[in-house]
Amino acid sequence: MMFDRAYRQRLEADLARWESDGVIPPAAVAAIRVALPPLAPGINIAVVVAIVGGLLIAAAFLAFVAAHWIEIARLLRLAILFAGILTAHGLGGWLARAGQPVLADLCAAVGAIIFGAGIALVGQMYHLGGDFAGGMLLWALGALATATLTGSRGALAVALVAASIWSCMRVIETDVPHFAFVALWLLACGLALAWNSRVAAHLVAVAALPWWIASSFQDHLDFRPSFVLANGAALLFGGGIALAASRWPRAAQAGSVLSTYGAFSLAGVAILEATLANEDFHTRAWAGLANQPLWTISCGVAGVILAFAATATTRRAGTAFAAGAIGLVLAAVALWMPPQSGEPWLAYAALLCAMLCLVVSGMLDAVRPRIVAGWLGIAGVIAAITWAVKGSLLNRSLFLAVAGIVAVVLALGLNRSVPRSRE
Amino acid sequence: MMTISVASLAERLARIPKFVLFGAAALVQVALLSVMIVDRVQILRDGKEVTLQSRPVDPRDLLRGDYVVLGYDISQLPAGALLNQPASSRNPPVFVKLTPNRDGIYQAVSVHAEPVPVTSPEVLIRGGIAYGATCGPSGYAFCEKLTIRYNLESYFVPEGEGRKLEDVRNQGKLSVVAAVLPSGRAAIKRLLIDGKPVYEEPWF
Repeated sequence: MMFDRAYRQRLEADLARWESDGVIPPAAVAAIRVALPPLAPGINIAVVVAIVGGLLIAAAFLAFVAAHWIEIARLLRLAILFAGILTAHGLGGWLARAGQPVLADLCAAVGAIIFGAGIALVGQMYHLGGDFAGGMLLWALGALATATLTGSRGALAVALVAASIWSCMRVIETDVPHFAFVALWLLACGLALAWNSRVAAHLVAVAALPWWIASSFQDHLDFRPSFVLANGAALLFGGGIALAASRWPRAAQAGSVLSTYGAFSLAGVAILEATLANEDFHTRAWAGLANQPLWTISCGVAGVILAFAATATTRRAGTAFAAGAIGLVLAAVALWMPPQSGEPWLAYAALLCAMLCLVVSGMLDAVRPRIVAGWLGIAGVIAAITWAVKGSLLNRSLFLAVAGIVAVVLALGLNRSVPRSRE
Repeated sequence: MMTISVASLAERLARIPKFVLFGAAALVQVALLSVMIVDRVQILRDGKEVTLQSRPVDPRDLLRGDYVVLGYDISQLPAGALLNQPASSRNPPVFVKLTPNRDGIYQAVSVHAEPVPVTSPEVLIRGGIAYGATCGPSGYAFCEKLTIRYNLESYFVPEGEGRKLEDVRNQGKLSVVAAVLPSGRAAIKRLLIDGKPVYEEPWF
């Protein structure tokens, strides 16, 4: 909504300029203005002041209750918690009916937070402090139900934060990946699609990251965390690209958001792999590729297949380069593994090529975040190669010089063969 | 097909008045909190009473805020037949068979990975391994000594009373009456000092 308002301001300024320059006739300007849907009501200064007042009163009430919490009878404490939840949602319902969707969303989120506090306080009052992670799951489910019913992005954010904490705690306890989180995450994906909301797609994409990071540090995997993370980034990027190529606009929008996070994840993994490929990080007996769990490898393979399938559907060179970037990062992490020793020149070269593919892909598809991710990846990988802990600095200098010369020769070749676009 | 169903579901929800949806969300949350309480009430109402002897715990875990951390004689047990047996996870559930001694205090007889049949006055209580399931050469296996938690380890008390309870507990005068369901789930029902009730847990 905020972006919609900014777009309208920009459009108004452009229309005025084009009209004065004689680019479009006044009748067309009027027709464009009529064609625009009415802006949703925003928040004015009076509402902002009212929000501050409401927050102050709520804080005063909370402080008062907290000061007397122990003295209050247990059933009355419970009634206060229930009243807090009912008030937040009642206010949310009233605001939604009054045409204030942002404030209604906020109320639903506050209701979900009070619900989380309620779980902690009921646990305290009734001596149920045994399973913290279980409490987090309950919080996530309650907040997700709120998000589903009210359409609140704030409640969805609360649900995903609680679910991520639950999942990370369970990952520590078990020796298998915590797939239960994936089910909850897919539900959140369904909400993002049903709402056709970019904000929700961002929340869902962010929530995928802690799960993969926690899974990559599970002790039993006996492998560099970059291997698991590379497969996760491959699935996120490849899946995002495939969704973005979908004919269904809702899926395409969600896919473009997921692919942005996938591109940055791939760049992050490339930097991590360039760092960990150094022998000094081989601090434990890492297992080889054959001993890795099938689900991890399947995710990476699925990411590559989805990216190439999107290429076949869209017939866009940029998507093909993105698929190439995924494949090269996976090849780098899969090929450079124990009992390999020495300096990982092949892995370095694959990672640099992958990040170059990412930049080219972003340029061809006109996706700026992908270009930024690629450049960051290139900078990070070069930094990791240059400042590697172990190995000959002279050899690394030679490798970088050769890589640089290859890139310059490639640029000269491309300059001759690719027709230049007109300025 | 899926895309159509997601879109139609969103449209159907959009047709329901917002006030009803917000009300339903509030009711779901209140219901979930109520389930927590009712679940505990069921244990207190239907569970068999078992008296457990408390014991001093690690000083680092003593008093946090206004709740007392309780340790029991049955919190640390030898693995017995479970020694070196594979465990399902780092913190697997276990079932401890309890039997009363001459003073009526329940003590551990054996530890099991699965529920086992018991005959009165024996009781089977369910716990979770906190430490002691990571002794396998590869993967998880039960160690020689097991630290077990029964969801009976936290007791919230009015402000300022925690220290008193802590002192009594360290003198070995504090015992706890727990209610234990046939499934093994337990909840604190009563706190005793020198065998006399000092805190009685109401259902609500």
